[in-house]
Amino acid sequence: MIWRLLHYRSGDAFENMALDEAVFRETVWNNRPPTLRFYGWRNPAVSIGYFQDLDKEIHIDLCRAAGVDIVRRITGGKAVYHCDEVTYALAAGRCASLFPDDIYRTYEIVSRCLARGLYSLGIDARLAAAPPGAVSRAQRPSCCFSVPFGSELLVEGKKICGSAQTRTHGGFLQHGSLLMRFDPEKNAALMGPRDPDAARTLQSRVAAVNQVLAAPVSVEALCQALQRGFVEELGIRLVPEPLTPAEESLAARLVKKYASEAWTRRRKKDAFAPAGPF
Amino acid sequence: MKVFPEDLLYSREHIWVRVDGDMATLGITDYAQESLGEILSIEFPEIDMYVERDEAFGSIESTKAVVDLIASVSGTIVSVNEDINDDIGIINSDPHDTGWLVVIEMDDMEQLDDLLDAAGYHDYIMQQEAD
Repeated sequence: MIWRLLHYRSGDAFENMALDEAVFRETVWNNRPPTLRFYGWRNPAVSIGYFQDLDKEIHIDLCRAAGVDIVRRITGGKAVYHCDEVTYALAAGRCASLFPDDIYRTYEIVSRCLARGLYSLGIDARLAAAPPGAVSRAQRPSCCFSVPFGSELLVEGKKICGSAQTRTHGGFLQHGSLLMRFDPEKNAALMGPRDPDAARTLQSRVAAVNQVLAAPVSVEALCQALQRGFVEELGIRLVPEPLTPAEESLAARLVKKYASEAWTRRRKKDAFAPAGPF
Repeated sequence: MKVFPEDLLYSREHIWVRVDGDMATLGITDYAQESLGEILSIEFPEIDMYVERDEAFGSIESTKAVVDLIASVSGTIVSVNEDINDDIGIINSDPHDTGWLVVIEMDDMEQLDDLLDAAGYHDYIMQQEAD
């Protein structure tokens, strides 16, 4: 099976999320083969999950003061501080028979690909077991990297990749962050409850590629290793291709949505408010 | 053990439909709630909003994914299940009854002919799992 590869590029938070959604929508609408892409963050940013409560979980004033953008994702999960990292995004439609119609099995397959890529760099990442029981809403952390969920990747018990997913019409978008370096103080300052031990707790739970490896690797080397992981694990071919004009056009429209205050703040106070158009 | 009540119709998007005259009650199937895992949040349409078949009428979030809710029929939203506001867990615990999501006043009853009966949906699930 042939997948499209979009070469690494660095964008701001709004461009990154717009392009992920544009590729996802076009893939599902047109039943195209999967697209894998890697990207970086031109400006540091905090991304929050589709249903997350911005005011409760993010220190907006501190983000603004630090020049950190805030963007709401269309995927679920918790907040991520994006700075020194490589983000992967995989969009697949219903025709992608390698992936089951199941959230956790899809996580597992993608994690196996990422783990294989990391292993080629000398990082032994293992899939986390499913959590032993339900965690109440109050106990859920604000930060994605605080807790591993089933099939996410751990290195010596520390989470090295935080991922999130959305699904529609049998297709999915899954994207996730592989940290090159982790800054626990910054993470603790920008999101979650104000807790003097938060940075230390995060430090004990999070792994970053260039803090695990004795000899640091470049972004390019990491991307190449991850690409190899997908190719070898799934037996696919990755063919570099550009965006289609339709994707370019949709992404340009979606940037405005992602940069708008209305979208960033759109989480409803209750379960019954309407979905807003983009 | 997944449950497939005989008195419901089913879509391939894992939505069940209970028909009463021109009113269709929709919810997610037992298979869907099991696949999603613990459901945390839901986004409903507004009352009186018109929804098209095969379009999203809302979304639902479980621990690690947001999933669109795809309408099985076209029509006007006349009711949403406000009990979910008090206890979203009923979608997981009783998806085919108290965990219903919305009621749609249908404007094209023939769309029901495209849905699966319980045996057809069961076979569809088995095929999905075999793939």
